[in-house]
Amino acid sequence: MLPIARNILRTENVEKYYGGRGSLTKALDGISFEVNAGEFVGIMGASGSGKTTLLNCISTIDTVTAGQILIGDRDITSMSRNSLAKFRRNELGFIFQDFNLLDTLTAYENIALALTIMKRPPREINVRVREVAEVLGITEVLMKYPYQMSGGQRQRVASARAIVTNPSLVLADEPTGALDSRSARALLESLRTLVRERNATILMVTHDAFSASYCDRILFIRDGRLFNQLARGPETRKQFFDLIIDVISLLGGDIHDIC
Amino acid sequence: MTSAKLAIRNVKKSLRDFTIYFLTLTFGVCVFYIFNSLESQEAMMDISNNQAAIFQQLMRVIGGVSVFVSVILGFLILYANRFLIRRRKKEFGIYMTLGMEKGAISRILMVETVFVGLLSLATGLATGILLSQAMSVLTAKLMDVPISRFHFVFSPDAFGKTIIYFAIIFLFVLIFNTIIVSREKLIDLIYASKKNEWYKTPPLAVSVLTFAAAACCLAFGYWKGLSSDISELLGGALLPLIAALCIVGTFLFFFSLSGFFMNLVQRNKRVYLKDLNMFVLRQIGSKINTAYVSITIVCLVLFISICTLSTGMGMSTSISKELKESTPFDASVVASVKTDDDGDAVGEYPGFDFAAAFDEDRGAGGIDAFAKDYLAVRFYDSGTTIPLNVVEGNQVNLIDANVQFMKLSDYNDILKLRGIDPIELDSGEYAVNFAVSNRGFKAAMEEYMKNADVIKLRKTELQTNPDNLYRYTLNVVENQDYNVCVIVDDPLVKGLPAARDILSVNYPGEASTYDTALGEAVSALKPGKDIKLSALTATEVGERSNSATVIVSYLAIYLGVIFLITAAAVLAIGQLSEISDNASRYGLLRKIGTDEKMIHKSILKQNLIYFGVPMLLGVVHATVGITVINRLISAFDKGDIAQTSLFVAVVLLIVYGGYFIATYQSSKGILDRESALMRAE
Repeated sequence: MLPIARNILRTENVEKYYGGRGSLTKALDGISFEVNAGEFVGIMGASGSGKTTLLNCISTIDTVTAGQILIGDRDITSMSRNSLAKFRRNELGFIFQDFNLLDTLTAYENIALALTIMKRPPREINVRVREVAEVLGITEVLMKYPYQMSGGQRQRVASARAIVTNPSLVLADEPTGALDSRSARALLESLRTLVRERNATILMVTHDAFSASYCDRILFIRDGRLFNQLARGPETRKQFFDLIIDVISLLGGDIHDIC
Repeated sequence: MTSAKLAIRNVKKSLRDFTIYFLTLTFGVCVFYIFNSLESQEAMMDISNNQAAIFQQLMRVIGGVSVFVSVILGFLILYANRFLIRRRKKEFGIYMTLGMEKGAISRILMVETVFVGLLSLATGLATGILLSQAMSVLTAKLMDVPISRFHFVFSPDAFGKTIIYFAIIFLFVLIFNTIIVSREKLIDLIYASKKNEWYKTPPLAVSVLTFAAAACCLAFGYWKGLSSDISELLGGALLPLIAALCIVGTFLFFFSLSGFFMNLVQRNKRVYLKDLNMFVLRQIGSKINTAYVSITIVCLVLFISICTLSTGMGMSTSISKELKESTPFDASVVASVKTDDDGDAVGEYPGFDFAAAFDEDRGAGGIDAFAKDYLAVRFYDSGTTIPLNVVEGNQVNLIDANVQFMKLSDYNDILKLRGIDPIELDSGEYAVNFAVSNRGFKAAMEEYMKNADVIKLRKTELQTNPDNLYRYTLNVVENQDYNVCVIVDDPLVKGLPAARDILSVNYPGEASTYDTALGEAVSALKPGKDIKLSALTATEVGERSNSATVIVSYLAIYLGVIFLITAAAVLAIGQLSEISDNASRYGLLRKIGTDEKMIHKSILKQNLIYFGVPMLLGVVHATVGITVINRLISAFDKGDIAQTSLFVAVVLLIVYGGYFIATYQSSKGILDRESALMRAE
């Protein structure tokens, strides 16, 4: 029996304007979509299409001009600054393009940091860090510092940090952007594992059709609007990849930026 | 936009970055003015020619030292300035990519420097002028003169001098900035923030061994300093050895501290995995491990600063205490036998009756003309001396202390006039009084009393015991009076030859009036041909009291404060560079949901440890150091310890505490601005 699909993220008519009268830029222009629990969703679009703004708004780092963003069943657009910090550490996990690991801390400590700022008891921290490291295959680098690891390992440590708190939603901003193709493949496999084994929900921004082909569903954004959606049905990853390429050419814009 | 506008806008925008720079300049200007304006405080006090001479001497020395101080301050300001430049390399990079010429950037920097310089010069001078009013109270206390007319003092000389000296320092800063900007490459400026330092916790064994070595060095150095003979300490290579041991020990201590501490805390998961402790510890660990040299220097400078401050203050309190001790009355007149140029007596001393003499000589108005209370006391010749081994510094002097007898009733009269309870003597006992504040002499006397000679007077054998040793000054004395008085029952002195007579007087009013009256009255007396009369007033003693010590203690306080500012400023700048270099790390902490409170707490912890650790070791060093100094300068009596410590604590609190708060606020400012930037991106 299939698990009952539950909304983790719902955006309703989200708008984000920059500038004032006279020179108004609509970075987001009424975007509405939903992400279900256990879904791996990709967001694609050209530079300036608004995908990073969208991610920033969802990640509570930026605020919206109008519309609602509901994560779980809470509207994050009406939360105070301090409760936002609390919300971020309890409900969200982040993976960045340039890893953003603290180079003074070991892998273990980097992952544990996400739990210590939630004030979890030490015993639990130890168990959870080792558990998630096991899933992502980084147990042997736990005691190493970031500079002693490969890029792929670093990004998997970052993923571990994002997932170790069991967040409702993991936000990944170009996670393969700084990786070579082999590491990128390994990381994407790891993300799929997280979705499959831990029922994680991931929202990933990417330029790259190959990365996108690992998703369950892809949202295409152009000029701040939702342009198209593509769900991976029974197709193989290869077939899904070809479908993505088709939509991209349809999207037009700056192909160079997209691929 | 003109570069001037841009510069002023820059300063306004990053006011918190400028705090430490501003604070250092202001403190520097303030202290510089205060000490160079000492001379003008004269105006406030009743001061004699002698004291005016001391002031002039003091000003000459302070003038010389001020050159040295301005060099230190100059370097400090350059250092603070370098931090500002470093922090803004990226900004300059942007100006340059936009096509601004290096000359224009230099001009912006110049306007900024002049702007901040003028502002801090004004603030520093204003605070300096205010504080120098308070300083005059201290001066009056040091010189032991009353403040007669309190009015506002302002020294145009010091004012001008301060401006000139700091103008020269600013000139150097300007030249330095221009050189820095002209040597920068655009690529380095743009990527200025990308540099990283790698850090690894050393293995526990290494840390433990270094820590043990540090502890050994320090313990051995402390032990040697506290327990060695003073002669050993001063002669030969022991003192340099101790200094070297302590420096090496301090160095090793900070070298090992981070690793040792890290290892300890890492084992305690409850502490380590709490809040941001892990992060804070790693930050400090990497900092102490890369910057332990500068932390060692800061700690040693703090040590020197605390030692000079408390020695200076201790000396000044001990001088005024000594002064009070040597002037129990307003004046004393001593009648003794005339001596020739070699100091040999030229006749027999027949004794001199002050009361009768003044009575006969009504012409000068009698004794009541200048005395409210008076007392004439006779001292009798004993013909013996006490040989004493007095330890002074690193040598032992054999002193033959003159012994004179005096009547118990006379002695008690003197005590009564001084407001002290009289002493009692059992029959067959004698008491001993001496008035030397030298610690070595005191120790020798105490030693002597344990096994004192039996005295035979008029067929009576007299003994004494250590309880019968007293230390009161019996008249106004100029220098150390090595006379020892043996106090015996009144009848026993009968038939002994007189040695001298002393008249002690308290005036009915102001010393300035009655000093002259006394002088005139005494010179009007006609003593016998073998008798010499010499008057000594408390005023004269006060004026001549140890001008060298006044100068030394002033200098010690001056330099102590400057050293303290140096140490605190170096710490503050180091800490701010650290925070600013790590702004991206704090940004990451924010992104993953750390709230502001936790981040601020982690900065506070970091600042506390960073400021606290060198201070703690510095205070421990200083406690030992001051004890050793006190042993070395044995001639000084210990001043009021509570007062001295209070003074030092207040100075530390203001300067060091001020820098601590400023650093914490600036750190918060840097991070808040960084987070605002993050949101804007």
